[in-house]
Amino acid sequence: MESETLLHKPVPIDRQVSGLSTIALPWQLAALGAILLASTGHLVIKLGLVSAGHASLPASGLARMVETLFQPAVIGGLAIYGIGTLLWISAVARRNISFLYPLTALNYVIVSVGGKLWFGENISPARWAGIGIVVLGVALLQLSSGEDQ
Amino acid sequence: MSPSLALWLSIVLGSCAQIFLKKGVDQKGADSKTGYARLLRSGWVWLWAFSFFFATALWLVALSKIELSYAFPLLSSGYVIVAVLSMVFLKERVSWMRWMAILVITLGVATTWGSK
Repeated sequence: MESETLLHKPVPIDRQVSGLSTIALPWQLAALGAILLASTGHLVIKLGLVSAGHASLPASGLARMVETLFQPAVIGGLAIYGIGTLLWISAVARRNISFLYPLTALNYVIVSVGGKLWFGENISPARWAGIGIVVLGVALLQLSSGEDQ
Repeated sequence: MSPSLALWLSIVLGSCAQIFLKKGVDQKGADSKTGYARLLRSGWVWLWAFSFFFATALWLVALSKIELSYAFPLLSSGYVIVAVLSMVFLKERVSWMRWMAILVITLGVATTWGSK
């Protein structure tokens, strides 16, 4: 019985060897996850800086900077950003870089909209236009995605 | 170092970093099936990490003197640089449709951040 169960659920070889395998997601999920986590990381860092009243870093030296870097929200934001980087590596292993890299422009769209929703930041008409152009570009990029491999 | 030199070095180094990473993950023995731990054995991956670190440091140096609304549109030229480098060093084929997409995205980012 036990051996049968083992046979049905083999441990992947890469897990046995390295103990730390890459995140095996389809590239779409990996890339979008990476972009989303990078944006979330930025917004969380900003949240930490704003709540601590460090929104504009004064040029008062290293101590202030170290103090700022060790805020829980800043560390949390960096951790989220780090997980995003692992997902990015997973995506880069699967697709051409000339296709994947321009996708990261969605970062600006997410940060702009997130800044509006979370921090009440204003989005000017010109900036909305820019966001629309980026989304159009990503749609065009998607049309070119079948050409690889 | 002048702020604009720091900015351009940051953009070029950041673009090179993506090429290094792709070289690293495409290497035999360091692909996605062998895990993150094995990636640490790839010189390309280390090169990526260092480039990324220095590009970020240079970016912060530049931003201490240059306005975001000026720096971000320039940063978007990275999409074009990465595409050119990928053709030369990775032999990727970049179709006219993809060039269109890259130029539209670059324009969009420049518009988004060039305006306050």
